[in-house]
Amino acid sequence: MTARRSIARRLFIGLSIVGLVGATLLLIFIIREHQQSFSALGDPEAARHAFRELFEHVLLPILVLILPMGMAGLIVIRRALAPLGRAADQLKVVGGLERGVMIDHAAFPTEAVPFARAVNDLLARLDQAAREHEAFAADVAHELRTPLAVIALELDALDHPDAPRLRAELLAMRRLIDQLMLLARVEAQSLAHSMRDMLELEEIGADVVSLLAPSAIGAGKNLSLGRVGEAPVVTGQRETIAAALRNLVENALRVTPAGGSVTVLVGPGPRLRVKDGGTGLTAERLQELIQRHRRADHASREGAGLGLAIVARIMAAHGGRLDSLPEAQELILDFTPIS
Amino acid sequence: MASEMRLLLIEDNHRLADLLVAGLARRGFSCDYAPSLAMATEAIAAQVHDVLIVDRGLPDGDGIAWLRDMRRAGYMQPALVLTARDALEDRVSGLDAGADDYVVKPAEVDEIAARIRALLRRPGPRSETQLRFGPLKVDLASRATLCFGRPFDLSRREMDLLELLLRQAGAVVRRDSLENALYAFNEPVTPNAVEATVSRLRRKLEDVGAHGMLHTVRGVGYMLREPAG
Repeated sequence: MTARRSIARRLFIGLSIVGLVGATLLLIFIIREHQQSFSALGDPEAARHAFRELFEHVLLPILVLILPMGMAGLIVIRRALAPLGRAADQLKVVGGLERGVMIDHAAFPTEAVPFARAVNDLLARLDQAAREHEAFAADVAHELRTPLAVIALELDALDHPDAPRLRAELLAMRRLIDQLMLLARVEAQSLAHSMRDMLELEEIGADVVSLLAPSAIGAGKNLSLGRVGEAPVVTGQRETIAAALRNLVENALRVTPAGGSVTVLVGPGPRLRVKDGGTGLTAERLQELIQRHRRADHASREGAGLGLAIVARIMAAHGGRLDSLPEAQELILDFTPIS
Repeated sequence: MASEMRLLLIEDNHRLADLLVAGLARRGFSCDYAPSLAMATEAIAAQVHDVLIVDRGLPDGDGIAWLRDMRRAGYMQPALVLTARDALEDRVSGLDAGADDYVVKPAEVDEIAARIRALLRRPGPRSETQLRFGPLKVDLASRATLCFGRPFDLSRREMDLLELLLRQAGAVVRRDSLENALYAFNEPVTPNAVEATVSRLRRKLEDVGAHGMLHTVRGVGYMLREPAG
């Protein structure tokens, strides 16, 4: 393995070698020209003369040439590499889920352009692969929906004591497919272009509560919305944040017995909190549920399935996280940026 | 027979369409069915339909684009869009094109039937002057209200509130939209004005035997729901 060296250092070494070789050649030339014998240098006057001669005709010209050359070289290198530094800064702020990222090599020196082009080609191929992956996952889920719809309609016509149970199973399957589609979207879809929308968390909370309240009331459970402190605004993708909150509220309604309450609290700060009548989740249990899908263990007694893993992904994509406050029976979507 | 609702279902999956037509028939809707947009255009011209049920991806085009053309051609009956896509952009573009509501496939027949009933309760060129929901019946022309066939009295504002809730029965109506609808913009509204009207209406409904119909979803709004059982 060779040690990494900066261009400036290479230039310094190169110029030193040139200086050394040049000085040696000049020295040889002068010695031959003047035919001075080395014995004559015993005389201090002659030696001083010889050194002055050497200084004026060897050292000085070399220094006069090499120092400005070195300076000019350093300036050229710094100027030529500055656009690379700027491009690197631009790449650093790109999030992992952003699409269509390209190095802008308009200001690059010619020598660096082939490299930049090669990297751009690679980025384009990765983008393409991610898009295909997303499209495939969405296709699979989409294709599954029609047969599911057919079975649901067949069941609707079926007058059999087992029909309600089968219908419930079918509903669970539909939920799983919805979650798979959502996961495909979170993982691959460009959150970037819609990431800059300013969203009022209270508005999202009101939407989700309105959507789920009819079935909650039907099941004899109480679902409500409250706010603590100022109305928080976050930047992000409305659809996925709403899906994350919906996941938490649906889980909360599942673990809350009839007659119990689920409350969505907005704030304080950029937070959405879901409080339920269940037993609460310890931080360890929450981590286990989030990790669950990585072990391909989809079955879950809590009925959370892929849900919490997806919620955690959505929060990570927004620079936040999913937290649990077991003593308050609360799950928290926290958008506070991690400093 | 005037009250028989005639629907037009535009869906290219024959099996799905047959089952859906049968399911809707069991719930008292007679439903025509067109497997392509071209046939839907013929059907809509040949028969008067009360509600259109439109699938998105059809062999000869997008249901949303077709709906936009039909709206331009003057067909204004309410439309329910069926889609397997649940992206928000779809929803927005669908509602822009003149869809009145939107159901994500695979939807239960009960859900589709409930949405159709809700669409028929909305104000529109073909909407009825009488609203029925559970034991309630409201005649909008004479402003008469009946519960289990017995008339009861409401103030003007309570009546307006009941009408708004009835038109979206089964769904939560946001408090701010009620505030905007019930009060003129220059009218001073106290923070609890809507709430007070709601509790007066709830009391009157309870008095005439409509128990547990008017629900408060705290922090969001109110919902009218058929009494349980």
